[in-house]
Amino acid sequence: MTQNTQFEVGGEELSSRMIIGTALYPSPDVMKQSIVASAADVITVSLRRQNPADDGGMDFWQYTKQLGKKFLPNTAGCHSVKEAITTAQMAREIFDTNWIKLEVIGDDYNLQPDPFALLEAATELIRQDFVVFPYCTDDLVLCQKLHAAGCDILMPWGAPIGTGKGLINPYALKTLRSRLPEVFLVIDAGIGLPSHAAAAMELGFDAVMLNTAIAQASDPVLMAGAFGKAIEAGREAYLAGNIQPREAAQPSSPVVGMPFWHQEENF
Amino acid sequence: MLQTVAIVGAGVMGRLLALKLLQQGFKVSVYDREARHSSHTCSFVGAGMLTPYTEAESAEPLVHELGLEAFDCWQNLCQQFSPTSFRIGGSLIVAHPNDQADLQRFEQNLRFNLQPEHQLALQQVDQVAIDQLEPDLGGRFQQGVYLAAESWLVSETILKAMADELDQNARFSWYDNVEISDIMPGQISVSGKIEKFDWVLDCRGLGAKQDIPGLRGVRGELLWLHAPEVKLNRLIRLMHPRYQIYVIPRPNDVYIIGATQIESEDYSDITVRSALELLSAAYTVHRGFGEASVVKTATHCRPAMPDNLPVVICQAGLIRVNGLFRHGYLLSPAISSRVVEFMQAGNLDSRFMQRLDDQVAPAPAASSRR
Repeated sequence: MTQNTQFEVGGEELSSRMIIGTALYPSPDVMKQSIVASAADVITVSLRRQNPADDGGMDFWQYTKQLGKKFLPNTAGCHSVKEAITTAQMAREIFDTNWIKLEVIGDDYNLQPDPFALLEAATELIRQDFVVFPYCTDDLVLCQKLHAAGCDILMPWGAPIGTGKGLINPYALKTLRSRLPEVFLVIDAGIGLPSHAAAAMELGFDAVMLNTAIAQASDPVLMAGAFGKAIEAGREAYLAGNIQPREAAQPSSPVVGMPFWHQEENF
Repeated sequence: MLQTVAIVGAGVMGRLLALKLLQQGFKVSVYDREARHSSHTCSFVGAGMLTPYTEAESAEPLVHELGLEAFDCWQNLCQQFSPTSFRIGGSLIVAHPNDQADLQRFEQNLRFNLQPEHQLALQQVDQVAIDQLEPDLGGRFQQGVYLAAESWLVSETILKAMADELDQNARFSWYDNVEISDIMPGQISVSGKIEKFDWVLDCRGLGAKQDIPGLRGVRGELLWLHAPEVKLNRLIRLMHPRYQIYVIPRPNDVYIIGATQIESEDYSDITVRSALELLSAAYTVHRGFGEASVVKTATHCRPAMPDNLPVVICQAGLIRVNGLFRHGYLLSPAISSRVVEFMQAGNLDSRFMQRLDDQVAPAPAASSRR
């Protein structure tokens, strides 16, 4: 079993467990180089503020299409069920995909998802044959209800968007993993360091979604590569099965020059 | 024999080139589809910031390097014919206590992108120093970065002053409200009629989209506020995770609040969301903006290449200048100098200039970051 095994999600065969965003880079070229360095198969794109009704962002979208990656359009910037559904419908036409990363913001300051509107929008979009990737909090009951509504992929946050704080509630995330074993779980938002991403993968999460931590690094391309390696490392560590931590040191080989019964006495 | 030049596009790049070429003895004609004092141009909407250091936060090092030439050029020009258009006062970059991480990131990226000798321009300032620089901020900010070497232009007055200065030259002609097509080496088509020149300089910005593959528009929105209760004398930049703004003082208690940067070629009026963001952020900088009146709003699209760097494509008889993105006033001094050098001596600054007519066209410098 290795990381490079292909897996299926939302009807697509993928090999990378990183999903990378396309916002906030210094330039489209740096974005492109970062995406290449990350080796991600899936990229998210936003359209809400780009006047999609008049194809305002078309040049930028065409540029990202050249990368040959699978598009995961998002509803970033939407605050209501209606807005999110309209944006998803436009995204389906523009990007020719029924995948949608569903974001319905409930709190403008920390961009926390509105769980109630999220569930309502997800239910409706699934009815319209979308594959919904909901950006949600780490609340177990919300995740269960989204799953019951038909979401086989969930994107709980590690921490609020853009904070870079890492996994602020590992307990809740572990709970999600153990209670929703059949769901494709993606940590979305709040990742600041490759070690955060590796930690998420070690917990058994299926993928990690990133944007700010790469796009706003001093050297985004270098950081994208670093995250790619960390996510692979974390996945392999999860598959390999870790040793269990224990209270006392346990030498892996006998300590030379000390009789074994004296070593025992140290405990 | 006088060399003749047609400059198509009368934005800041076209006007500056015209002035420099007249100084060098060329006979210059400027063509523009807008009226010469039209406010519907990217240059007119641009706020005129000459900030080579703060731009290094997100731009490639080349923007900083070329931008360092802007201060002297504009200071000299303004002294000649528009002294009040040049403003010195430096940039003060601040963040609210909750957003200190964004200020730190700004400083970190600046230090990453600037050579050590240029990092000396960065000055960390505390509340006392901030209040000395801008007493009107009234203890609102505890930490900041000050860049004393930065300046700005009153862009709308310098553009007009440049036009007036050009008009005084007997070797200059201005044709406005004309559609130019078929821009080729040594000739253009003016309302369907072919005109011939020694040189044609294409400075149309997004108007040249069909001729420059990869060129795209990046939407920017700004607000003009009349705020008699606000007394700020420097460029203020507010760092925030989402709503970054700059505040630029204009004469008579007017302040420009800008600017959004949206990957969209959309010229429609400012959206309510953008206005809310810009105004909310401005209000947190100074409460006096609460009583300000919104004098006008402005929207335009900046012409940008995929690396957001300028490009100059040279061949005999035709030079295309484009991709100045949000750095029109900052970069046009260096770029216009290099274009004139190319026309007179054939020299090429390979960092952003490429030759089309040679068998071996040198590729533009790779845009990898350090």
